[in-house]
Amino acid sequence: MSTETQSSTVERSPIERLRASPFLTELLSNRIAVIGLSLIVGMFLVAIYARFAYGLDAIVDTQFGENPTKVGPSSTFWFGTDGQARDIFPRVLYGAWYALKFGTATVVASTVLGITAGIVAAYYGDLTDNVIMRTMDVLLSFPSLLLALALVTIFPDSLGLWRAVIALTLVYTPRFARVVRGAALKVLEDEYIEATRALGATDPRLLVRHVLPNCLAPITVQSTLNYGLAIIDIAALSFLGFGAAPGDPSWGMMLSEGVEKGLFSGAWWWSFFPGLFLALTVLGFNLLGDGMRDALDPRMRDAVD
Amino acid sequence: MVSKRFVAKRLLLLGPVLFGVATVVFAILHLSPGDPAVVIAGERASQDFVEQIRSDLGLNDPLWQQYLRFLHDTVTLDFGQSYQVRQGSDVSEILADRLPITIELAVLGQIAGLLFGLPLGIISAVKKDTLTDHFSRIGALTGISVPIYWSGPLLILLFAQILGVLPTSGRIGSTYFIDSTTGFILVDTLLAGDMAAFQSAARHLLMPVLVLGIYSMAFISRMMRSSMLEVVRQDYMRTARAKGQGAKTTIMKHGLRNAFIPVITIIGIQFGSMLGGSVLTETVFEINGIGTLLVSAIHGSDYPVVQATVLVFAFMYTLVNLFVDITYSILDPRIDQ
Repeated sequence: MSTETQSSTVERSPIERLRASPFLTELLSNRIAVIGLSLIVGMFLVAIYARFAYGLDAIVDTQFGENPTKVGPSSTFWFGTDGQARDIFPRVLYGAWYALKFGTATVVASTVLGITAGIVAAYYGDLTDNVIMRTMDVLLSFPSLLLALALVTIFPDSLGLWRAVIALTLVYTPRFARVVRGAALKVLEDEYIEATRALGATDPRLLVRHVLPNCLAPITVQSTLNYGLAIIDIAALSFLGFGAAPGDPSWGMMLSEGVEKGLFSGAWWWSFFPGLFLALTVLGFNLLGDGMRDALDPRMRDAVD
Repeated sequence: MVSKRFVAKRLLLLGPVLFGVATVVFAILHLSPGDPAVVIAGERASQDFVEQIRSDLGLNDPLWQQYLRFLHDTVTLDFGQSYQVRQGSDVSEILADRLPITIELAVLGQIAGLLFGLPLGIISAVKKDTLTDHFSRIGALTGISVPIYWSGPLLILLFAQILGVLPTSGRIGSTYFIDSTTGFILVDTLLAGDMAAFQSAARHLLMPVLVLGIYSMAFISRMMRSSMLEVVRQDYMRTARAKGQGAKTTIMKHGLRNAFIPVITIIGIQFGSMLGGSVLTETVFEINGIGTLLVSAIHGSDYPVVQATVLVFAFMYTLVNLFVDITYSILDPRIDQ
């Protein structure tokens, strides 16, 4: 309650421009969502900076001779150096690029596949619906990380982190399909769909122009929450040895090497900083997703008197 | 009241789903690039020997024959023999040794999650939009965001290495020898009547259970919070207050019971991430459950073990969800309609 009144009086002018979108207004007045959004924007900036400021080869190569091995954080090496004498700071920043690149690929791919499957199932119904959704049910019967582990084995090592992306895309698609199908079924019941059809709209046009836009809200929430999950799962697969190659500046790989070779011999910084950045990124998406869900559900706003 | 029709319907659905699960596992293994015969024979074996093994395994048969044989073996729980992890042993034997370890871990993790998550969610809902609520919400979201393979090692560093109050890894101190009767170490030590061993086992389990519990606590408290907020708005809550019942009594007597129902479904889904999380937890704490079994089997191309482990994980998950759905239907008879 207090949050909303406060922000709407204090920050009226910038928000007023967004009045057209009650969802955005609601989201921006939700402090938790704003914290999450700031974390994500910050991480994207870090990722873009690292991508253009550092050469990937220099970051991957061992740096024996140039740097001392396994020294703690200092003014020269902010996050210390690792067992290959590499400066950990630029590697951790570059890790943001890796995480967001592969995370985005996973989320975009599973969202697109899920939307297609969900809308097609809802629209055509009957046998199509049954075949698609029962397949999704079967995929959902596996604990997600375990299905991803099994799927990763199908693809050759040379694909690197893309293996994890493909496997996790297949794992996440059913969740989107379910959400979208539910939302689409609701939209399809509306009268204006009947009216549009009577006006002669073709199937694809009806789906893309009318059904899809009306399902966007639940899809956005699901995508945001899944973004964090994708990043944490990609890193988990790398940690278990399926994905990034040794030396890659991905947080999962750095964690794996740092825990195995550094943590208990005193080099805590080796795994600490990659883990911290990973957790902050995932937290950003979870905070934003949670805030979005509240903003979309007006009933959640002032439940208790 | 259990609706017999609902239970029957759910049981009937179980067959096709398990059949689908088995088919997916078969497909995954046949799409894998490795050649089982080469794995068994070894890289340097002669071509004839590899060919011999291939025909022994029936790998030259048409795919549909292999598929039918696979289904038959799965139904009769005959998973063949391990190629690599424990060469020559029956896979079902390996699983019998290791499965209880993972179940114990996942169940304790889930219990820990409930013990902390439910109260946290209730407090958060009752004190909505206060500082307590913000803290517990952000705390819960942080809990899901922190990877097990980061928090686990950090806990080991703190409690085992620096403070030296808890053991680093494994399931029990190396000085204890406990017969495996049930496979659950806490139960076995109690059955043996060895309290010192029980304590040692409990101390070994503390960190792994904590790490898994934090994860499920976060989900459960979030669900409990929103479910509680939903319930508080209901008419019967207002009626109870109007009758003159105190706020606390209303929440305890009417609120909790109703709010708990949707949370039960989450527990089932949540069990999936407990199982997935147990793979990571077992890896971090070097526990020999089926999670670490799966990882080393994949690394060693031990196909029979991979196949059986993935099947067992999926079966467990499906059965837990079936059980949860039935419990749900008992608590909320409207589900049947």
